[in-house]
Amino acid sequence: MKKNKTMIVVFLAPAVIMFSIIFLYPIFRTVLMSFFKIEGVTDAVSKWQFSGLSNYIKLFNTELFRISMWNIFRIWLFGGILVMGLALLFAAILTSGIRFKNVFRAIIYMPNVVSAVALATMWLQYVFSPKFGLFKSLGKFLHWEWLEKFQWLDPAHLFIALLVAYCFGMVGYHMLIFASGIERIGADYYEAATLDGANRIQQFRYITLPLLKGVTKTNITMWSISSAGFFLWSQLFSMVVSNTQTITPVVYMYQNIFGAGNSMTERNAGIGAAVGVLLSVCVVVIFIVCDKIFKDDDIEF
Amino acid sequence: MAKEKKVRERVNWHRELRLAPGYIILSLWVLFTFVLLGWVVGASFSTSKEIFSGTVFQFESGIHLENYAKAWNTSNVSVFFMNSLVYASISCALLIVICAPAAYVLSRFTFWGNRLVQNGFVAAMGVPATMIVLPLFGLVAGWNILNVSLANRAVLIFLYVGINVPYTTIFLLTFFSNLSKSFEEAAAIDGCPPMKTFWKIMLPMAQPGIITVTIFNFINVWNEYFMSLIFANSDKVKSVAIGLYGMINSMRYTGDYAGMFAAVVIVFLPTFVLYVFLSEKIIAGVTGGGVKG
Repeated sequence: MKKNKTMIVVFLAPAVIMFSIIFLYPIFRTVLMSFFKIEGVTDAVSKWQFSGLSNYIKLFNTELFRISMWNIFRIWLFGGILVMGLALLFAAILTSGIRFKNVFRAIIYMPNVVSAVALATMWLQYVFSPKFGLFKSLGKFLHWEWLEKFQWLDPAHLFIALLVAYCFGMVGYHMLIFASGIERIGADYYEAATLDGANRIQQFRYITLPLLKGVTKTNITMWSISSAGFFLWSQLFSMVVSNTQTITPVVYMYQNIFGAGNSMTERNAGIGAAVGVLLSVCVVVIFIVCDKIFKDDDIEF
Repeated sequence: MAKEKKVRERVNWHRELRLAPGYIILSLWVLFTFVLLGWVVGASFSTSKEIFSGTVFQFESGIHLENYAKAWNTSNVSVFFMNSLVYASISCALLIVICAPAAYVLSRFTFWGNRLVQNGFVAAMGVPATMIVLPLFGLVAGWNILNVSLANRAVLIFLYVGINVPYTTIFLLTFFSNLSKSFEEAAAIDGCPPMKTFWKIMLPMAQPGIITVTIFNFINVWNEYFMSLIFANSDKVKSVAIGLYGMINSMRYTGDYAGMFAAVVIVFLPTFVLYVFLSEKIIAGVTGGGVKG
């Protein structure tokens, strides 16, 4: 037993130390920082001035931050509905017994493994291009004038462009989660339903959906986590035309702390920390709400 | 993985017809993906003029391999590429050395704090980067070492490893728990000490899991953006993702579209090729480890 104790300590120590340095310590310090006024990120604790909730109050009084929160909420909600809908549809098709299932699955998941910068560049510079873009050519080919004329990269439409491009990449991941959930449902349920004369859509509605509560919860949680960290796509899309359509809280924080910072009123690392805390709180709240809504996960299957 | 029995059945046309809407929907999506990638690859072999006139796939002026040469040499892509390769390889190796032993003891022994560590790691997978970046940056910037490129590289690798520790540990933990305990019992009867048992018997047995998680770590590090953007101080140490972003930024002034698409293809190719060969393993890994249904 003594031997096991040394082994546990020796084997566990490196991972736990890394975890403490990269996660535990920074999380506590960020929470602390959010209640202080801090001029430079590197300032020692002795130079911090306690300011209570004023960082949070300041944030909510800043219009740009409110816009960024509204944007991330729109991405989370509309993008979420779009991605979850498509992911569930694709998962249902994949598990319906079609041929080439693995090929379809692999290709739909593919955008998740390639560099998002490369993917975003393809969308920005090619698909949405007003001169030689894919959507323009498609509109021309189908004689859909609205699609041919649609200016995706106009300030007014940039958000839709961002949403479409981002969701295209995300569908594959959530589809895999849904599909694995559907595959775990026993085939005998469907056989019994078929014998009782239920058609495919009824089977989907009354067997598949109720048994997918657990994976739906996973999917919503994962979607919320990736939404909270939304940065790269926003930064790349704001490059084309700098406007407030595509700014998100993480970009706001980045510009505030690490960027030129000229658009901000004051240099205060505490505000950046408050942004991080707010985003984390959002994720936790969503997680708790999901847990409550999808509580009846006890159906055995 | 593929549990359905692979019996060659005759095509049941009635059945296939019923599935037709499904085929059509998926095919359209897949077709779009192919056009997207295909066009970009085509454009990378053409010229900016041809891209604008919409004649990418006619290759009237021949195939322009020099786009790649230009991107690779003059636009620093070779530097970024090598950086990312080094970061990803070292991080992946370190992650296994750090996480496999931890995952093993977490899966095998009951001790105080076991559940706590596991829960902490699972929770850490959901922590937004904004929540940890400021103190880390404060710490590193306080040391004033980011001007030394070797130190800067070390910091980046340290971050890549640290961020992926929770995921890697939890993934391997699930894997180790599925290995039978009888191997260790047999080794113990033969007088093999537990630590040696791990290195000589259990770690080699966990090889499939280690390979899968290493593929994921490689892809994650290769594509990592936020931390690299903040911590990579000079062009010399930038990873591909950040390098490409800088290139696209400067591309707006030079107008070299063909060169830019060539750079996009170079950045995108390594993980893509990895995926073409290992997609089954990767997909099984997405739904197998870490994510609880």
